[in-house]
Amino acid sequence: MRGRLEFENNILYYHGMVNIDLISFISNYMKQQIDSNNSVHLKIYKVFIELTQNVSYYSADQQDSNRTFGSGKGWFSVDENNDSFIITTGNKILKEHGNILIKNSNEINLLNEEELRDLKRKTRSKAPIKDIGAHIGLIHTGLITSNKIDVRIGPIDDKYSFFTISAKVNKC
Amino acid sequence: MLKQNIMKNLLIDAIPDSPYYPVINFDASTGICELIGESYMEEAYKFYTPLLNWLKEYSQELKNQVTLNIKLTYFNTNSSRLILDMLDILKKAIDDNVAVSINWYYDLDDPDIKEEIEDFEIETGLTINMIPFE
Repeated sequence: MRGRLEFENNILYYHGMVNIDLISFISNYMKQQIDSNNSVHLKIYKVFIELTQNVSYYSADQQDSNRTFGSGKGWFSVDENNDSFIITTGNKILKEHGNILIKNSNEINLLNEEELRDLKRKTRSKAPIKDIGAHIGLIHTGLITSNKIDVRIGPIDDKYSFFTISAKVNKC
Repeated sequence: MLKQNIMKNLLIDAIPDSPYYPVINFDASTGICELIGESYMEEAYKFYTPLLNWLKEYSQELKNQVTLNIKLTYFNTNSSRLILDMLDILKKAIDDNVAVSINWYYDLDDPDIKEEIEDFEIETGLTINMIPFE
């Protein structure tokens, strides 16, 4: 949970079930609420949808018992600083997935733009089309923001961990 | 009988409450195939599979010429995987001497889209006409 001071720059915070209709509604609402130029708007829009869809798909806490994905519980926030917007999401994951996510994000953060594009192309073409994702969400986020992604894993219990990811979109 | 007459148009109208589905208009009489709007639905393969099947039959089996007009203002990474499959189908048609033209209409304010289109060109070996719109 976030402390009171951490909300100082917050323009959006949500905690609960995340599904496609909520993502669609809030992403379009943000287009109207965030004061910035079109290029920055588009980057925020792309990163927000990509990261919140990860919560919806991959949260280990699925809220609709009739579905195995697409109704994940978690939280997301958008904060505004002087020079950037920060989009953050958090959700429960299986403990064994934590190390893979840290490893992948560390690799992505070491790559320059051309290396990221190359990795994106190679990874996308290998992804089975029936998978719910294309396995390039983190790479794509790194490319769109031109900033390092901040991935953290926190303990919950023997089976689960808590995963948070933050992406920074520069204002210019 | 024209070969394309045995195929029906593939039309999917806009769904106002679900803007994450694009409008689809694949015209069997002209070969003009359009995707318009945004694409970030769940389980994208379920939406795109009929499009892939239509394109495959129309261009590869019946060898009809195709003009693909992509007018997507946003697509998520999962949709991009399926768009790649559409382009792969058209590349195979070109390799089989079918006339194919691909036009990608993009937002001039989008700072990332040209690189995205270039990545599709590199992956498929296709030439994509990039056409800006305001």
